[in-house]
Amino acid sequence: MSKNAAQWTATPKFPASHFVDSRIYTDEAIFNEEKEKLFKPAWVIACHESELPAPYDYRLATHPAGVPLIIIRGEDARVRAFYNICPHRGNTILYDPSGNAKRMTCIFHQWSFDSRGNCVEISRAEQGYQDRFKKEDAAMREVRCEVAFGGFVWVNITDDAPALRDFVGGAMDILEPFMQQPMEVFHFHKALVRTNFKLWHDTNSEFYHDFLHYFNRITGMMQPGYYERKYTPFPNGHATVGSMQIQYDKYEGSKERAVGWPGMARGGWYMVDLFPGMTYNLRTSVLRIDTSVPLSPNEVLIEFRGLGLKSDTAEERAQRVFDHNMIWGPFGRNLHEDLLGVTGQGRAMRKGTDSRYVIQGREEASTIHDEVGMRHYYAEWSKRMGRAAYDPVRAAA
Amino acid sequence: MKSEQRQAIEELVYRSCLALDARDFKTFLDLCDESFRYSITTHSPEIRRDMVWLDHDRKGMETLFTNLPRHNSDHSPLTRHVTVYTVDSSEKEASVVSALQVFRTQLDGGATELFAVGRLHDTIKLPAVKLAKRVVKLETRLLGYGYHIPF
Repeated sequence: MSKNAAQWTATPKFPASHFVDSRIYTDEAIFNEEKEKLFKPAWVIACHESELPAPYDYRLATHPAGVPLIIIRGEDARVRAFYNICPHRGNTILYDPSGNAKRMTCIFHQWSFDSRGNCVEISRAEQGYQDRFKKEDAAMREVRCEVAFGGFVWVNITDDAPALRDFVGGAMDILEPFMQQPMEVFHFHKALVRTNFKLWHDTNSEFYHDFLHYFNRITGMMQPGYYERKYTPFPNGHATVGSMQIQYDKYEGSKERAVGWPGMARGGWYMVDLFPGMTYNLRTSVLRIDTSVPLSPNEVLIEFRGLGLKSDTAEERAQRVFDHNMIWGPFGRNLHEDLLGVTGQGRAMRKGTDSRYVIQGREEASTIHDEVGMRHYYAEWSKRMGRAAYDPVRAAA
Repeated sequence: MKSEQRQAIEELVYRSCLALDARDFKTFLDLCDESFRYSITTHSPEIRRDMVWLDHDRKGMETLFTNLPRHNSDHSPLTRHVTVYTVDSSEKEASVVSALQVFRTQLDGGATELFAVGRLHDTIKLPAVKLAKRVVKLETRLLGYGYHIPF
C-alpha cells in the first residue's frame, strides 16, 4: 500500500542508528559546518608520490575544505605542502596542475619562493619596504604532509590535529601487505557530479548496490564467498571490507585477470573506506583511489586514480589499464552506473523534493549486504558534527 | 588522390558517426575492417601522462555492443559533429584526421550541451574503404558521470 504525507514523513521503523535524515545531504549550514568539523581536522590524500618523481616536481591539489595547495618535492627528496596563495596580494602562485619549479614565482609581482616555502625574492624590496618587511617575513604557509600508506601524499591543514597514524589507526592493516612495492599512478580523471559528497562515500561503503551492476551480478555475486565478505569498523569512522575471489571470466569479454597483485590471492578484492571521504579499492590487478572535493551540498568533484606497480613491464601495465578501464574507466561498465546512481540520489534529494529519510537498516552479521559501513560512518559524523544524523536540525538547536 | 576516393573516405567517417549516433552498432561494425581496432586516449596534464580510456579490437567492440543493453546507462542521445581536416593516402590506406565535437541532449526537456571535444585519427583500408583503426584523442576529460557508448 502506498503512503500518505504523514506516513511518508514518519520516522522509519528502525533504531535511530539505522537511518539518516536526508537534510544532511542538502542543508547549506550543515555543509559549511562539515568543512570546519570534518575536513579541516582530517588527514586527506592530496596526490601520489609517483606524480612527483623528480626534485622540484610539483602537483596542485584542492583540499576538501577549500584550500588550494601546492605539493612539491624538494632538492632533499622530501615532499612538502603549502598553500597556493601568495602571502603578498593573495594571488595564486602556481597555475598549471603539475610541473617542475625550482622557484615558485608569483606571476603578479614576481615574488619567488623555494621548495621549502622560503621567500627568496621580493621585487624591489628595499625601495618599497625599506627595513620594515623582509623576505623572512614573507614565507609560504606550510601544512603538515606525510608520504604513507602506499606512497600517497597525505596533508593536514590543522597544525595540532592528531598524527596521521593515529587518525588512520588500524584501518589500513588489511592493505599494508599488498602495498610493499612502489606503485605508480597510470590513470587520473575527475568527475563533477551533482550529488552530496557523502552519497558517493555511502556508495563506496555498501555492496548491496551490486544489484546496480550487471558486471558484478554476473561475476562476484554469483560466486562462492561473496556473502562471506565482511565489514570491519575502525575508530574515527573508517571501515574495511574483506576479500573474496572473483571469477572474471563469467562476464563476456572479460577474462581471468592475468596480472594479479603481489601477495594477493588471484581475483582478490579489498576495500578501505576512510572518513570523511576517501576510498582505497584494490581489485585483483589495480588499486583505485577515490578522493572528493565537496563544492556545495549538491555538488562534488571526485578524483579517480588508478595505480599499478612501478616495476610493471609494458605488457603488465597494458593489462592493468585494460582491467581498470573495463569497469572503472570513464567509459567503464561500473563507474558510469555508480555515478548515475548517486546523481539520481542528488536529484531526488535536492531541496524541495520532500525527500525525508535514507534507510541504512540491513543487518546481516556485518557481511557484504549489511549496511554497517554506512552506520559506522554516520555514528562518527554525528559525534564530530554534534548533530544526530537521524535528526540533524533538532539536535543542533 | 581522386576526388571520388576522397569523397568516399570522408563519407565513411561521417557514416560511422551517424551509425553511432543512432546506436546502430551493426551498421557501424559493417563499416569496419576485420582488423578494426578502436581506442579512446587522452593526455593528463595533472599526472603528465598519456592515458588509454578504452581499447578494443573488433571482437571486443562486438562484445561491448552486445553487453551494453544489459547495463544501466544514461539514455541521453549523443550527436557527433565531425569535420574531416586532412586525408593522407597511399595505395593501401588513408590516414584521416578529423575534428570531433560530441553533444549530449537531455531526454527531459531536450537541452543540448557540449559533452566533449577531440580528434578522430582514423586509418582507412583502401581500396575497400573500410575503417581499420580509430583513435579518439580527447581534449575533454571532465565527463561528469561518463557514458557507456564509445565516441
